[in-house]
Amino acid sequence: MLCNAPAESKLRQRTADTQCIDATTITAPAGHWRLAWRTPGSAEPYSLLVDRQALAAVLLLLVALIAASLAYLALGSSPLPLPAVLPALVGRGDMMVVFLVQELRLPRLAAAWLTGAAFGVAGCLMQTLARNRLATPGIIGIDNGATAFAVASVVGLGVSLAPPAMALVGAATAAALTFGLAAGGGTRGYRFIVAGIGVGAVFGAITQLLLAQVHIDTANAAYPWTVGSLNSRPAGAVMLLGIGLAFGLAAALWLTRALALMRFSDAVASGLGLRITQRRWQVLGVSVLLTGLAVAAAGPVGLVGLIGPEIARSLSSPRGVPIMASALSGALVMVLADLAGRMLLSPIEIPVGIVTAVVGGPWLLWILLRPASRNLA
Amino acid sequence: MTRYELATRDLTLRYGRTAVIDRLEFSLPVGRVTAIVGPNGCGKSTLLAGLSRLHVPSQGAVLLDGKDIQQLPARELARRLALLPQEATAPEGLTVAELVRFGRQPHQGWLRQWSAEDQHVVREALAAADLTGLAERPLDTLSGGQRQRAWVAMTIAQQTPLLLLDEPTSALDLGHQIEVFELVRRLAADGRTVVMVLHDLASACRYADHLLALHNGQLVAAGPPGEVVTTDLVRHLYGIDCTLITDPATGGLLLSNVRRAVPDT
Repeated sequence: MLCNAPAESKLRQRTADTQCIDATTITAPAGHWRLAWRTPGSAEPYSLLVDRQALAAVLLLLVALIAASLAYLALGSSPLPLPAVLPALVGRGDMMVVFLVQELRLPRLAAAWLTGAAFGVAGCLMQTLARNRLATPGIIGIDNGATAFAVASVVGLGVSLAPPAMALVGAATAAALTFGLAAGGGTRGYRFIVAGIGVGAVFGAITQLLLAQVHIDTANAAYPWTVGSLNSRPAGAVMLLGIGLAFGLAAALWLTRALALMRFSDAVASGLGLRITQRRWQVLGVSVLLTGLAVAAAGPVGLVGLIGPEIARSLSSPRGVPIMASALSGALVMVLADLAGRMLLSPIEIPVGIVTAVVGGPWLLWILLRPASRNLA
Repeated sequence: MTRYELATRDLTLRYGRTAVIDRLEFSLPVGRVTAIVGPNGCGKSTLLAGLSRLHVPSQGAVLLDGKDIQQLPARELARRLALLPQEATAPEGLTVAELVRFGRQPHQGWLRQWSAEDQHVVREALAAADLTGLAERPLDTLSGGQRQRAWVAMTIAQQTPLLLLDEPTSALDLGHQIEVFELVRRLAADGRTVVMVLHDLASACRYADHLLALHNGQLVAAGPPGEVVTTDLVRHLYGIDCTLITDPATGGLLLSNVRRAVPDT
């Protein structure tokens, strides 16, 4: 009967036709689970689609992150057996072990999680916005902008604002400059990337200039911000990052449906009902916020923003934008890189920013040298 | 299907200070195929961008059922008017069915991601474009014609009474062009209003019910091809001379003996 009527008329007769729609067996699209439920009084059931491959990627990364975190807690200049680490997390066992785990390694692990996740999400957002895998905040100069401002506040140019606030201002300034210089070319293509690299170089030079002019002790205090390190993370900055990440991750997840459309060309996306300009500002804002706060906590470890989303995309499905997986893989990369930095030349520590640069540099080259058809996301 | 009438009032579209479309007034016949034709650079694609709200008018308005489309919410407009732009690009690795499902986006929400209606409409769209058998194939493994039909299927799944296509056949060989044109005719037969930009006047005469001929941003002719296409119009638009004959098979108009126009002296 009405089941065969065109969908348009179904739409109009929704109330009368409810039984008919319910009678239709709904199969979830390939590769998805469909969760449906109804509340009393709702005309039609609520439905959610769960992308199985994306879910598997998130779970896999979560398991890997937990394993890497346990290794992070156990390994170091004084290795601890895993059976001693787990009780120490809840304050049981040898006092020395508890101190080592709770006071030294756990806060640093938390900082690695938060900064890695923030860089990962910020990178994924910016890449999607620009539809270009190279367009991460680290490459288009936002990291350097945040760093220059954070260093300026440390070496004190009469500015006594806290580094996180200054880093945020720096990130926003660099983003504004990059987008301003690329205006006309839009956020697409290489004009945008080249403008970003230029802006990054200018801010990098400003940072060096600031450091060259001050006393060696002050320069040392600002040094972690220039290479990226979790060794001397400011507690306040990590706390702020935690709050910012909670907000930024929620906002990014809320934007996933818009982000999925943004991967199409502008005309297609707007034809499908996306308010492009408004959404772009939102995505940019979240990306800049996360980058600024993460740089304030750990310095410019921006290559995590390139590597994290890359891993997430290769594990996830092409149907959506892997925000959660980018957060987890960013955190995973950060934890592993910092662990490697602590272990490789022990007792000397290699700053995490240098480890990621050593790994990320070749990765960047690989992306550039890959066949052109797969160069752009 | 609800009828929506698309019309323009004093529509002017500019790039910088240049008026590409200059004070155009027309309305489109409902449930018919309209072709916008004219020489390169006459403003065809800009006009289509204006009709789909991609290009904001500097003067005048595009009216949908008498209402300015600039006033409509984006999703509301996307439920009434679908656009297939030229050189549409999709994310890598997407399958045909996944692309077509994106057409449901304006009808969905966070808590309404896959309804019986979505499923029904996507199936119908795939069937209408003859793609049911290719539904799970990645887009990049399809031929140009199949891929273009997949894009049209996406706009069909949007379930809009109005469909705007920008040069839907420009990169296709003759066989694939016919695939797309016949799909367009079927859509019009189902009651949709289709507007397409075409640079090929012969195809426009063959497949459109209504022509809008543009020259330098001005409307120089509007009406059924059989009534408005004359040797003078062809010469004015494209600078060519031709002989117009009636196609013995279809009764449509054919351009024959096409040659560069000898300038009047």
